[in-house]
Amino acid sequence: MIYDLIIIGGGPAGITAGIYAARKKLKTLLITKEWGGQVTKATEIGNWPGAKTISGNDLIKQISEHLKMFEIEIKEGKEVIDVDKKDDIFTVRDNDQAYEAKTVIIATGKIPRTLNIPGEEEFKGKGVSFCATCDAPMFKNKNVAVIGGGNAGFATATDLIKYAQKIYILEFFPEMKGDPLTKEKLAQTGKVEFIVNVAVKEIKGTKFVESLTYEDRNTSKDHKIKVEGVFISIGTMAKAGFAEKLVELNKIGEIVIDKDNYTKTPGLFAAGDISDIKYEQIVIAAGEGAKAVLAATDYLKNKQ
Amino acid sequence: MVKVYSTPTCPYCVTLKNFLKEHNIQFEDIDVSQNELAQKEMIEKSGQYGVPVVDIDGQIIVGFDQDKIKKLLKIE
Repeated sequence: MIYDLIIIGGGPAGITAGIYAARKKLKTLLITKEWGGQVTKATEIGNWPGAKTISGNDLIKQISEHLKMFEIEIKEGKEVIDVDKKDDIFTVRDNDQAYEAKTVIIATGKIPRTLNIPGEEEFKGKGVSFCATCDAPMFKNKNVAVIGGGNAGFATATDLIKYAQKIYILEFFPEMKGDPLTKEKLAQTGKVEFIVNVAVKEIKGTKFVESLTYEDRNTSKDHKIKVEGVFISIGTMAKAGFAEKLVELNKIGEIVIDKDNYTKTPGLFAAGDISDIKYEQIVIAAGEGAKAVLAATDYLKNKQ
Repeated sequence: MVKVYSTPTCPYCVTLKNFLKEHNIQFEDIDVSQNELAQKEMIEKSGQYGVPVVDIDGQIIVGFDQDKIKKLLKIE
């Protein structure tokens, strides 16, 4: 069977695209590794119209339930590994199946940026974490390091305050970039040590994380701190390699689109944080998902 | 016997528990943020810190691995 549209991604852009596609009566398949992505890690959202404050989990629950009201095919827990096009038909592959469609919308969002240092991958889940909201309670009375002194790092440290005994916040640049007011609040707890101008070099341990080594960028000297947790909060990155044959990527790996969400390949669209739009907000991603479906609908009409 | 080790805030835990409820699977819901003993037990069983962890009759699954869970619970 050939779908009218395959949507890749289950965050606000993908879900909204699904709702629009269903209402346009497009024969649609939505493939997603997970629901919500980055949104689910937000403890409190205060700028989603209609909900005064809502948790990321609840918001995604609401909009994904809205989507599932419609007759739309969904493959959950599947990661797309390749998108190709031949004779006007796209083939989208996950690990075990291939699907065909006339149009495709990529809305896979962004994932946490990694440090790419020894020990990071090895100790993932064994002390290395990218989600304090998820893992903070596991570090009760332990010493932990937060990598990244921006607002994301400060939010991570704030999540950890309730549990950890001591928190080191490490920043590459000579100054913490996060909000000074938050910094003051963190400092007042007496639990936080701020370390600036350092490059994190290695995470070590046996079964679990035991220490972290960083280089002081002033003196080029290495230092080792004993920590059982390393929380990496250095922003996000786009990972669109699965579509590289068909799209242009900018220097930070985002898919280049025009104002109507077209990529360089006709019939292939991108929406939300995976695209090169400037502002990354939930409400914007949702809007971009809607736009992409409207553009895809026009594209399908013109093809007929 | 199905045990779910989780924390209240972790997104996959919520998804996992909803999934089990949807399929009428009874499970013991263990909040490791409140129960340090259970937390230790979970870390020992799974060899890692991440939640959720599911224990299905002694078989340990880390994360919301839908395929594995379906297989072990014989969910279509």
